Parts: sequence; structure tokens; C-alpha cells
Amino acid sequence: MQLTIVTDLNKCVGCKSCQVSCKEHNTSGAYGPVPDAHPRADVDGMWWNRIVTMESGAYPNTSVMYLPKACMHCYDAPCVPVCPTGASYKREDNGVVLIDYDSCIGCQLCMWACPYGVREFDEEEGVVKKCTLCIDRLEDESLPEVERQPACVQSCPTHARTFGDLDDPTSEVARLVSTRQGFGLLPELGARPSVHYLPRRPEPPRVDKETLEKVMAERYE
Amino acid sequence: MKPAPQLLVLTLGQGLAGGMTASVGFLASIGGLNHRLALLLLGAALFCAILGGGASFFHMHHFSAARYILRRLKTSWLSREALTTGLFGGTLFLLTVATVWGRLALNSPLYIALAWLVTFFGLVAIFVTAMLYASIPAMLSWHSPVTVLNLLAVGLLGGSGWGGFFGMVEHGPSGQLAAAVAIFLVVTGAVKAFQWHVFSLARHRIRATTGFGLPFAPYRLQDSGTTRAPYRTQTQVHPVISDGLRLRMAVVTAIFLTVLPIVLVILSQIAAEWGWMLGAAISITLGSIFERWLFFADATHSSRVFFADEPREASRVAEPVMRGRLS
Repeated sequence: MQLTIVTDLNKCVGCKSCQVSCKEHNTSGAYGPVPDAHPRADVDGMWWNRIVTMESGAYPNTSVMYLPKACMHCYDAPCVPVCPTGASYKREDNGVVLIDYDSCIGCQLCMWACPYGVREFDEEEGVVKKCTLCIDRLEDESLPEVERQPACVQSCPTHARTFGDLDDPTSEVARLVSTRQGFGLLPELGARPSVHYLPRRPEPPRVDKETLEKVMAERYE
Repeated sequence: MKPAPQLLVLTLGQGLAGGMTASVGFLASIGGLNHRLALLLLGAALFCAILGGGASFFHMHHFSAARYILRRLKTSWLSREALTTGLFGGTLFLLTVATVWGRLALNSPLYIALAWLVTFFGLVAIFVTAMLYASIPAMLSWHSPVTVLNLLAVGLLGGSGWGGFFGMVEHGPSGQLAAAVAIFLVVTGAVKAFQWHVFSLARHRIRATTGFGLPFAPYRLQDSGTTRAPYRTQTQVHPVISDGLRLRMAVVTAIFLTVLPIVLVILSQIAAEWGWMLGAAISITLGSIFERWLFFADATHSSRVFFADEPREASRVAEPVMRGRLS
């Protein structure tokens, strides 16, 4: 079993609700693993899920795309074998990559080994932290079945994110990846990320160059 | 990335200690070792090893977990580094004690064998530390065999430089020591030049088109998720140094690490004065510090692609607007 998230880049509107809901769920006041001791003074603190915004295409056909980026829970997670204490590990039963904070020495070697820059160092506790795929929610039997999924998936207003078992060929995530050419980031580095993205469909130009230049001339010249 | 002072001290101390121990082995093999010279070299090597070991200890941020450091010997180069560096430090200490004790003839086969054994442990420790950096594919600048060659060469150069100085002060075989320093100077210069080329290639691999796996181009990164990139919580994406600073540091490193020492070593042989060799050893040490700073500060990590470090290009969408304003 390999639990994962598939994000449809056509549906993601960059609202960052997944980024915020991740922080909200995992901070949980003073007891959560994500440090948020000085939220106003330190707005750039730790985030386990970041929405990267890209402007793509060439003038005049440009567009903006959003890429939610959290731990990829790689099949060959490079952060796991480099850890000297075994604090970073990959669960055999569901494929989630986790960190045991009690045995992490804070050497940050796993941060170097991760190709995606999704591991963050907690200076106060002296350990490295990252997305857990909301493992506490997945295994909380007090929650209704429908809520046993990561906070970022549940909060997505456009249903751009789908959660499931990638190793199960009948699952929705496996179907999306196989039928819509889902891809992983930085494949040349060999980590085999389980988190996949569905490619954007090319959109026909909505405005031609002459019209655009005419409008620009009317407004600015 | 952001150079951590502890890692600078660790790698430099370990390299110097390994190099100085190699000098002891070399001098013992050619029969040029006297008691004071051995004590000076081993004492200096032990000092550097302790400095490096102490620095590596303080690179940890969660000391209570240090007892688990050897758990992943099978896969983790950091686990192996803790073991091999400890082994090197321990055997170096025992060799120093045996030398102070003075019962062992310095030119005896047993002492020579012990000196080379400790040297072997030292070289293994440097190799393992270098592999720690070289085996990380995401560290694009370091993921190359040149990293291993570089750390070994700089360590041996630094150690032989101080070996040459102590050898001249204690009337050892200065000509052979100077020849060894000269060989390491040439080798280190060549390796360093090749490594800077590898660093340059790594910098050019960081393009948004590879990081996002998308067919359209070009891309311009607008926002990395928060108001700025996570430079504090992710030190590996620390802003890349400017071209000017990189060039200045490379020139300073080349001068101190190779050019100036070559001149000083030649002068030391012409004038037969140890002062010139002292200058060469100090110059090599300073050059090693600059080299190591640049090694860490100029390293390119693959995740930079997501954090706005690609050279910025002005958006062509704004061109008509700007043109209108200018006219």
C-alpha cells in the first residue's frame, strides 16, 4: 500500500486553503508539531505545505499555475537511508514517510537529501519536521470514514486533490495517474515520488496579439 | 546553501589531522622522524582532530538522541562518519601516547606500521565524510567523485604543509617534504579547478522547466508559498552567492591555496629558512578555510528551483505598459 495525493493542476486555483488548513490542523495550539509561537512576528515560519505560484507561457498567451508542494512520500525516499539514527523512516503498511522526533539529532542531512525542499528545521526543538500526510487523522477511528483523509485534501474547495492508495490499481488515484498521465516532480533525481500531479491542458489563446496591442494603445498611449 | 561553522571546522580539522598523520607515516618510512618532530606533528594532528570532533558534536541540535547515532551504519554515511572519525581520533590518541611514552623506536617497523595504520584510518574518515556529501543526488554541486578527491587533496595538502614546516624547524628531510607539498599543491589546484567547473554545471541545471515537469516554457516563479523563501527553516536553499562574490572568493582561494604557497615553498628551499615554509603552511590553511567556505556557500540544491533563485527575467506582458510609460 502506498497512500498518496494526486493534484489536478487544472483545478487548483491557488487559494492556499490546503496550506492554511495544514498549518491549522498540525499546529493545534501549543501542542501541535508545527511551531507557531510567534505567528505575527514570524509569518514566514514553518509550513509543511506550500503553494508555489508560477507564471507560464509566452506573451501574449501567459497564464498562472499553482503547484501545492508538500512531502512526496517517495517510494525510494532519499531522506530515509541518510538518517544516522533511524529517525526518518517509511512505514511498510501504508508507505507514509515519518520522523521520530525523539531519535532525531537535528543534523539536517535529510533536508539536504530531500530533492523537493519540503523538510523544515524546528530551531526550538532542534529536530526536522515535515508533512505526515495527517497520519493522526488517517488512523483516528473516532472520525467518520469520510474524514479520515489529510486536512489539505478535505479543505480543497475545487476538489483538485484526491487521496488514496496508489498501489491499488482500482483506486481513484491510480486511475487518475494512469489515464491522465500523472507525473512526479524532478524524476531525474530518482526518488520516485508517490505524490503525482495531473498536467494542465493547453488552453487556446483567448486574445490575439493585434487586439491586445489595440487595447494597450487605447489605454496607455 | 548556508555554511555551518561547525561543518567548516569539522571538515578542515579532520583533513588537517589526516594530512599531518600521513606526514608522520611518510617521515617514519624514509627514516626522517625524530622524537620532537613526531611529537609536534602528532600533537598538532590531535589538536585538529579534537577541534573537528568537538565541532561535529555541536552540529547536533538534539543531544539526547546522540546515543542512536550508529543505528544506520548499513545505509547512512553520517553513521559511518561518526564511527570512522571516532576510530581515527582514538588511534591517533594512542599513537601519540605511544610516542610520548618513548619506548618504541621511531624508525622501527612496528612504529612505521602503526603510523600508516592511523593514517589509513584518517584517510578513511576523510573519505567517508566526503562520501556523505558526494552521495546526495539533490546536492547537485557535490554529487560527483570530484568532491571526494577535493576533500582528500585539500586535507593532505594542509597536513603536508605543516609537516614541511615542522620538518624544517626540527632539521628533518626538508627537500623531500617540500617535494611532497609541491606535488599536493599541483594536484589540489587541478582538482579544485575541475570542481568549480562541476559547480558551474550544477548552477545551470536549476531551471523551472525541469523542476515542474511541464511541457510549456518559459516559466517565472512568482511566489514560493509565503512572503519569502524558507531560508531560516531550510538552510540548503539559502540565497545563492553573487557572481562577484563567487569570483572574488575563487581568486582569493586560488592565491592562498596554491599560487602563494608554491612561491613560498620554492623560496624556503632556496633560502633554507623555515620562515618561508611557515608562511606556506599558514597560506595553505587560510586557503583551505576560504575553499571550504566556498564549497558550502556555493553549493546548489535541487529544491532551489521552487524558491525563486532562478535568474529573474522581466515579464514580457508588462512590456507594452512600460513602453507606453517611457514614451
